[in-house]
Amino acid sequence: MIGRRVAAAALLVGVLIGAGFVTGRAASISLTSQTLTPYRTCTLTATPAAATVQIDTTARQGSATTNFGTLTTLTVSSASAANQRTYLRFDLTRCSPAIPATAIIRLATLRLFVSALPAVCRTVDLFRSTATWTEAGLTWNNQPFGAAINNPATASRTGTFDVGTPVGCQNRTANAYVVGGTVTTDVAAFVAGSSTNFGWMLRDDAEGSATARTTTFSAKNLGTAAQGPQLVITYVAFP
Amino acid sequence: MPSWRRLGLVLAIVLSGTVIGAAASLNLTSSTLGANRLATPRCTAANLSVLQNLSGSNVASVTVSGLPAACGGGTLQAAVNNGTANSTGSAAVPAGGGSVIVTLAATVPVSEAAETDIVVVGP
Repeated sequence: MIGRRVAAAALLVGVLIGAGFVTGRAASISLTSQTLTPYRTCTLTATPAAATVQIDTTARQGSATTNFGTLTTLTVSSASAANQRTYLRFDLTRCSPAIPATAIIRLATLRLFVSALPAVCRTVDLFRSTATWTEAGLTWNNQPFGAAINNPATASRTGTFDVGTPVGCQNRTANAYVVGGTVTTDVAAFVAGSSTNFGWMLRDDAEGSATARTTTFSAKNLGTAAQGPQLVITYVAFP
Repeated sequence: MPSWRRLGLVLAIVLSGTVIGAAASLNLTSSTLGANRLATPRCTAANLSVLQNLSGSNVASVTVSGLPAACGGGTLQAAVNNGTANSTGSAAVPAGGGSVIVTLAATVPVSEAAETDIVVVGP
Protein backbone atom coordinates (compact mmCIF):
# COMPACT_ATOMS: atom_id res chain seq x y z
CA MET A 1 0.00 0.00 0.00
CA ILE A 2 2.76 2.39 1.00
CA GLY A 3 4.66 1.58 -2.16
CA ARG A 4 1.64 2.42 -4.27
CA ARG A 5 1.29 5.75 -2.49
CA VAL A 6 4.92 6.55 -3.16
CA ALA A 7 4.49 5.62 -6.77
CA ALA A 8 1.38 7.76 -7.04
CA ALA A 9 3.21 10.68 -5.45
CA ALA A 10 6.09 10.22 -7.88
CA LEU A 11 3.71 10.23 -10.79
CA LEU A 12 2.00 13.36 -9.47
CA VAL A 13 5.35 15.10 -9.24
CA GLY A 14 6.08 14.04 -12.77
CA VAL A 15 2.78 15.42 -14.01
CA LEU A 16 3.31 18.72 -12.24
CA ILE A 17 6.80 19.02 -13.63
CA GLY A 18 5.43 18.17 -17.01
CA ALA A 19 3.03 21.06 -16.64
CA GLY A 20 6.02 23.22 -15.82
CA PHE A 21 7.61 21.99 -18.99
CA VAL A 22 4.61 23.26 -20.94
CA THR A 23 4.78 26.60 -19.13
CA GLY A 24 8.45 26.87 -19.92
CA ARG A 25 7.79 26.32 -23.57
CA ALA A 26 5.14 29.01 -23.60
CA ALA A 27 7.63 31.50 -22.19
CA SER A 28 10.23 30.90 -24.86
CA ILE A 29 10.99 33.84 -27.18
CA SER A 30 11.41 33.73 -30.88
CA LEU A 31 12.64 36.95 -32.49
CA THR A 32 13.36 36.81 -36.17
CA SER A 33 12.93 40.41 -37.39
CA GLN A 34 16.10 42.44 -37.72
CA THR A 35 15.25 45.03 -40.32
CA LEU A 36 13.47 47.61 -38.19
CA THR A 37 15.02 50.98 -38.92
CA PRO A 38 14.16 53.78 -36.49
CA TYR A 39 14.86 57.21 -37.94
CA ARG A 40 13.67 60.52 -36.64
CA THR A 41 13.68 63.85 -38.44
CA CYS A 42 13.18 67.29 -36.94
CA THR A 43 12.17 69.88 -39.50
CA LEU A 44 12.46 73.48 -38.35
CA THR A 45 10.72 75.92 -40.65
CA ALA A 46 10.87 79.69 -40.39
CA THR A 47 7.18 80.32 -40.81
CA PRO A 48 5.10 82.36 -40.23
CA ALA A 49 6.83 85.73 -40.28
CA ALA A 50 6.45 85.96 -36.51
CA ALA A 51 8.11 82.61 -35.97
CA THR A 52 10.62 82.43 -33.17
CA VAL A 53 12.25 79.17 -34.20
CA GLN A 54 14.66 81.02 -36.46
CA ILE A 55 16.26 84.43 -36.85
CA ASP A 56 17.86 85.84 -39.99
CA THR A 57 19.27 89.06 -41.33
CA THR A 58 21.72 90.46 -43.85
CA ALA A 59 24.88 92.45 -43.15
CA ARG A 60 25.60 95.01 -45.88
CA GLN A 61 29.02 96.53 -46.27
CA GLY A 62 27.56 99.46 -48.15
CA SER A 63 25.36 100.34 -45.15
CA ALA A 64 27.74 99.19 -42.49
CA THR A 65 25.88 100.50 -39.46
CA THR A 66 22.35 99.68 -40.57
CA ASN A 67 20.40 96.63 -39.49
CA PHE A 68 18.30 94.78 -42.09
CA GLY A 69 16.61 92.24 -39.86
CA THR A 70 13.11 93.15 -40.99
CA LEU A 71 13.60 92.57 -44.71
CA THR A 72 11.76 89.81 -46.53
CA THR A 73 14.89 88.75 -48.37
CA LEU A 74 18.36 87.56 -47.45
CA THR A 75 21.31 88.37 -49.65
CA VAL A 76 24.76 87.07 -50.37
CA SER A 77 26.71 89.34 -52.64
CA SER A 78 30.23 89.88 -53.85
CA ALA A 79 30.79 93.46 -54.94
CA SER A 80 33.42 96.11 -54.55
CA ALA A 81 32.85 97.78 -51.17
CA ALA A 82 29.29 96.46 -51.23
CA ASN A 83 29.54 92.86 -50.12
CA GLN A 84 26.60 91.29 -48.34
CA ARG A 85 26.41 88.40 -45.94
CA THR A 86 23.50 86.39 -44.59
CA TYR A 87 23.23 85.37 -40.97
CA LEU A 88 20.71 82.87 -39.68
CA ARG A 89 20.18 80.71 -36.65
CA PHE A 90 17.71 77.96 -35.79
CA ASP A 91 16.64 77.11 -32.27
CA LEU A 92 17.32 73.40 -32.02
CA THR A 93 15.62 73.20 -28.64
CA ARG A 94 12.30 73.58 -30.43
CA CYS A 95 12.52 70.06 -31.75
CA SER A 96 9.92 67.92 -30.04
CA PRO A 97 10.81 65.45 -28.76
CA ALA A 98 14.17 66.99 -27.97
CA ILE A 99 17.15 65.56 -29.80
CA PRO A 100 19.15 63.62 -27.22
CA ALA A 101 22.74 64.74 -26.75
CA THR A 102 23.76 61.17 -27.50
CA ALA A 103 21.87 61.03 -30.80
CA ILE A 104 23.80 60.29 -33.95
CA ILE A 105 23.10 63.02 -36.47
CA ARG A 106 22.86 61.32 -39.84
CA LEU A 107 22.17 64.37 -41.96
CA ALA A 108 21.48 68.04 -41.34
CA THR A 109 20.55 70.24 -44.25
CA LEU A 110 20.15 73.98 -44.37
CA ARG A 111 17.54 74.82 -46.98
CA LEU A 112 17.17 78.30 -48.43
CA PHE A 113 14.73 79.29 -51.12
CA VAL A 114 16.49 81.12 -53.95
CA SER A 115 14.53 83.90 -55.56
CA ALA A 116 17.30 85.41 -57.70
CA LEU A 117 20.52 83.99 -59.10
CA PRO A 118 23.75 85.53 -60.38
CA ALA A 119 24.58 85.20 -64.06
CA VAL A 120 27.80 83.40 -63.22
CA CYS A 121 28.29 80.41 -60.99
CA ARG A 122 29.33 81.55 -57.51
CA THR A 123 30.33 79.54 -54.49
CA VAL A 124 28.53 80.35 -51.27
CA ASP A 125 30.38 79.33 -48.11
CA LEU A 126 28.80 78.51 -44.77
CA PHE A 127 30.65 79.35 -41.59
CA ARG A 128 29.62 78.41 -38.09
CA SER A 129 29.13 81.67 -36.23
CA THR A 130 31.51 82.00 -33.33
CA ALA A 131 29.62 84.59 -31.29
CA THR A 132 26.09 85.59 -30.52
CA TRP A 133 24.17 88.13 -32.59
CA THR A 134 20.61 89.37 -32.84
CA GLU A 135 18.21 89.76 -35.72
CA ALA A 136 17.46 93.35 -34.80
CA GLY A 137 20.97 94.37 -33.93
CA LEU A 138 23.42 92.85 -36.38
CA THR A 139 25.17 95.17 -38.82
CA TRP A 140 28.19 94.87 -41.09
CA ASN A 141 30.36 96.58 -38.54
CA ASN A 142 29.34 94.54 -35.48
CA GLN A 143 29.03 91.11 -37.08
CA PRO A 144 30.80 88.23 -35.31
CA PHE A 145 33.38 87.79 -38.07
CA GLY A 146 34.31 91.46 -38.30
CA ALA A 147 34.16 93.91 -41.18
CA ALA A 148 37.13 92.66 -43.19
CA ILE A 149 36.16 90.95 -46.42
CA ASN A 150 36.99 87.33 -47.22
CA ASN A 151 37.16 86.68 -43.53
CA PRO A 152 37.11 84.04 -42.16
CA ALA A 153 39.21 82.14 -44.63
CA THR A 154 37.57 79.70 -47.00
CA ALA A 155 39.42 76.83 -45.33
CA SER A 156 37.34 77.23 -42.19
CA ARG A 157 33.97 76.89 -43.92
CA THR A 158 31.80 74.02 -42.74
CA GLY A 159 29.56 73.86 -45.78
CA THR A 160 29.26 75.15 -49.30
CA PHE A 161 27.08 75.17 -52.38
CA ASP A 162 27.25 76.70 -55.83
CA VAL A 163 24.59 78.94 -57.27
CA GLY A 164 24.22 80.61 -60.66
CA THR A 165 22.55 80.18 -64.01
CA PRO A 166 25.39 78.66 -66.09
CA VAL A 167 25.19 75.02 -67.10
CA GLY A 168 27.04 72.87 -64.60
CA CYS A 169 26.34 75.04 -61.62
CA GLN A 170 24.88 73.12 -58.68
CA ASN A 171 21.83 75.37 -58.22
CA ARG A 172 20.73 76.88 -61.52
CA THR A 173 17.04 77.46 -60.96
CA ALA A 174 15.39 80.39 -59.26
CA ASN A 175 12.31 79.88 -57.12
CA ALA A 176 13.53 76.63 -55.63
CA TYR A 177 15.31 75.46 -52.53
CA VAL A 178 19.05 75.17 -52.88
CA VAL A 179 20.64 71.77 -52.62
CA GLY A 180 23.96 71.13 -50.98
CA GLY A 181 23.60 73.10 -47.79
CA THR A 182 24.88 70.26 -45.63
CA VAL A 183 25.69 71.21 -42.05
CA THR A 184 25.74 67.80 -40.43
CA THR A 185 29.00 68.30 -38.56
CA ASP A 186 27.90 71.62 -37.12
CA VAL A 187 24.54 70.35 -35.94
CA ALA A 188 26.14 67.27 -34.42
CA ALA A 189 28.42 69.57 -32.43
CA PHE A 190 25.47 71.70 -31.32
CA VAL A 191 23.49 68.66 -30.20
CA ALA A 192 26.41 67.06 -28.41
CA GLY A 193 27.18 70.31 -26.65
CA SER A 194 30.72 70.55 -27.93
CA SER A 195 29.90 73.77 -29.76
CA THR A 196 27.45 76.56 -29.00
CA ASN A 197 24.74 77.18 -31.56
CA PHE A 198 25.22 80.75 -32.80
CA GLY A 199 23.95 79.82 -36.24
CA TRP A 200 25.71 80.37 -39.53
CA MET A 201 27.07 83.11 -41.73
CA LEU A 202 26.90 82.76 -45.50
CA ARG A 203 29.22 84.72 -47.72
CA ASP A 204 30.48 84.62 -51.28
CA ASP A 205 33.68 82.61 -51.49
CA ALA A 206 35.44 85.53 -53.17
CA GLU A 207 34.15 88.81 -51.85
CA GLY A 208 35.05 92.06 -53.57
CA SER A 209 34.07 91.20 -57.13
CA ALA A 210 34.43 94.11 -59.54
CA THR A 211 31.05 93.17 -60.96
CA ALA A 212 28.34 92.64 -58.38
CA ARG A 213 27.30 88.99 -58.06
CA THR A 214 24.21 88.63 -55.94
CA THR A 215 22.09 85.74 -54.75
CA THR A 216 18.79 86.45 -53.06
CA PHE A 217 16.97 84.10 -50.70
CA SER A 218 13.54 84.32 -49.10
CA ALA A 219 13.66 85.40 -45.47
CA LYS A 220 11.45 84.43 -42.58
CA ASN A 221 9.81 87.84 -42.77
CA LEU A 222 8.33 86.97 -46.15
CA GLY A 223 5.93 84.78 -44.23
CA THR A 224 5.49 82.24 -47.01
CA ALA A 225 5.51 78.68 -45.71
CA ALA A 226 6.69 77.21 -49.00
CA GLN A 227 9.72 79.50 -49.06
CA GLY A 228 10.73 79.72 -45.45
CA PRO A 229 14.30 78.87 -44.45
CA GLN A 230 14.50 75.34 -43.12
CA LEU A 231 16.84 73.20 -41.11
CA VAL A 232 16.18 69.48 -41.54
CA ILE A 233 17.89 67.17 -39.07
CA THR A 234 17.73 63.41 -39.45
CA TYR A 235 19.09 61.38 -36.58
CA VAL A 236 19.04 58.07 -34.81
CA ALA A 237 18.12 58.43 -31.17
CA PHE A 238 19.12 54.96 -30.03
CA PRO A 239 21.98 53.72 -32.14
CA MET B 1 12.20 -2.09 -4.63
CA PRO B 2 9.12 -3.24 -6.54
CA SER B 3 9.25 -2.60 -10.27
CA TRP B 4 6.23 -0.32 -10.32
CA ARG B 5 7.87 1.88 -7.67
CA ARG B 6 11.09 2.08 -9.67
CA LEU B 7 9.08 2.92 -12.74
CA GLY B 8 7.45 5.88 -10.98
CA LEU B 9 10.78 7.23 -9.79
CA VAL B 10 12.38 6.89 -13.17
CA LEU B 11 9.44 8.62 -14.79
CA ALA B 12 9.66 11.51 -12.32
CA ILE B 13 13.40 11.91 -12.85
CA VAL B 14 13.09 11.83 -16.62
CA LEU B 15 10.35 14.43 -16.65
CA SER B 16 12.33 16.62 -14.26
CA GLY B 17 15.31 16.60 -16.57
CA THR B 18 13.17 17.49 -19.52
CA VAL B 19 11.67 20.40 -17.68
CA ILE B 20 15.01 21.86 -16.71
CA GLY B 21 16.21 21.67 -20.27
CA ALA B 22 13.14 23.29 -21.74
CA ALA B 23 12.95 26.10 -19.23
CA ALA B 24 16.49 27.14 -19.99
CA SER B 25 16.04 27.27 -23.73
CA LEU B 26 15.55 30.55 -25.59
CA ASN B 27 15.16 30.73 -29.30
CA LEU B 28 16.74 34.06 -30.23
CA THR B 29 17.73 34.39 -33.85
CA SER B 30 18.13 38.17 -33.99
CA SER B 31 21.59 39.56 -33.48
CA THR B 32 20.37 43.12 -33.17
CA LEU B 33 18.45 43.22 -29.91
CA GLY B 34 20.20 44.69 -26.90
CA ALA B 35 19.00 45.71 -23.49
CA ASN B 36 17.16 49.05 -23.61
CA ARG B 37 18.15 49.47 -27.23
CA LEU B 38 16.26 49.47 -30.45
CA ALA B 39 17.40 47.32 -33.29
CA THR B 40 20.35 48.71 -35.21
CA PRO B 41 19.98 47.09 -38.58
CA ARG B 42 21.67 47.67 -41.87
CA CYS B 43 19.61 50.69 -42.92
CA THR B 44 20.66 52.89 -40.03
CA ALA B 45 24.06 53.54 -41.53
CA ALA B 46 22.50 55.50 -44.35
CA ASN B 47 22.32 59.29 -44.38
CA LEU B 48 18.68 59.48 -45.28
CA SER B 49 17.27 62.75 -46.51
CA VAL B 50 13.73 63.38 -45.31
CA LEU B 51 11.99 66.34 -46.87
CA GLN B 52 8.44 67.55 -46.54
CA ASN B 53 6.41 68.20 -49.68
CA LEU B 54 3.88 70.94 -49.32
CA SER B 55 0.45 71.51 -50.71
CA GLY B 56 -0.17 75.14 -49.90
CA SER B 57 0.74 75.49 -46.26
CA ASN B 58 0.30 71.81 -45.49
CA VAL B 59 2.61 68.84 -45.59
CA ALA B 60 1.05 66.41 -48.05
CA SER B 61 3.84 63.91 -48.47
CA VAL B 62 7.39 63.13 -47.45
CA THR B 63 10.27 62.33 -49.77
CA VAL B 64 12.85 59.98 -48.32
CA SER B 65 15.99 59.60 -50.38
CA GLY B 66 19.32 57.95 -49.92
CA LEU B 67 17.80 54.57 -49.13
CA PRO B 68 20.39 51.81 -49.53
CA ALA B 69 19.73 48.79 -51.68
CA ALA B 70 19.62 46.68 -48.52
CA CYS B 71 16.27 48.26 -47.73
CA GLY B 72 14.86 47.39 -51.15
CA GLY B 73 11.66 45.42 -50.97
CA GLY B 74 10.86 46.72 -47.52
CA THR B 75 8.02 48.99 -46.53
CA LEU B 76 8.81 52.51 -45.47
CA GLN B 77 6.41 53.92 -42.93
CA ALA B 78 6.39 57.63 -42.16
CA ALA B 79 4.61 59.60 -39.49
CA VAL B 80 4.54 63.40 -39.40
CA ASN B 81 3.64 65.20 -36.20
CA ASN B 82 3.61 68.98 -35.84
CA GLY B 83 2.63 68.97 -32.20
CA THR B 84 -1.08 69.45 -32.79
CA ALA B 85 -1.80 67.27 -35.80
CA ASN B 86 -0.29 64.13 -37.20
CA SER B 87 -0.65 61.72 -40.06
CA THR B 88 0.97 58.60 -41.40
CA GLY B 89 1.62 56.86 -44.65
CA SER B 90 3.65 54.05 -46.14
CA ALA B 91 5.22 53.08 -49.42
CA ALA B 92 7.29 50.26 -50.82
CA VAL B 93 11.03 50.76 -51.12
CA PRO B 94 12.30 50.03 -54.67
CA ALA B 95 14.42 46.94 -55.08
CA GLY B 96 17.58 48.96 -55.56
CA GLY B 97 16.81 51.49 -52.84
CA GLY B 98 16.86 55.17 -53.81
CA SER B 99 13.96 57.51 -53.12
CA VAL B 100 10.44 57.01 -51.91
CA ILE B 101 7.56 59.45 -51.72
CA VAL B 102 5.18 58.67 -48.90
CA THR B 103 1.78 60.26 -49.26
CA LEU B 104 0.19 61.04 -45.93
CA ALA B 105 -3.32 59.91 -45.16
CA ALA B 106 -4.16 63.51 -44.25
CA THR B 107 -2.24 66.73 -44.68
CA VAL B 108 -0.49 68.28 -41.71
CA PRO B 109 -0.18 72.07 -41.40
CA VAL B 110 3.36 73.41 -41.66
CA SER B 111 4.67 74.46 -38.29
CA GLU B 112 7.86 75.89 -36.85
CA ALA B 113 8.89 72.44 -35.67
CA ALA B 114 7.67 69.12 -36.97
CA GLU B 115 8.82 65.60 -36.31
CA THR B 116 8.92 62.87 -38.92
CA ASP B 117 9.49 59.29 -37.85
CA ILE B 118 10.70 56.87 -40.47
CA VAL B 119 10.70 53.12 -40.12
CA VAL B 120 11.69 50.57 -42.72
CA VAL B 121 10.08 47.22 -42.09
CA GLY B 122 11.38 44.19 -43.88
CA PRO B 123 12.25 42.97 -46.38
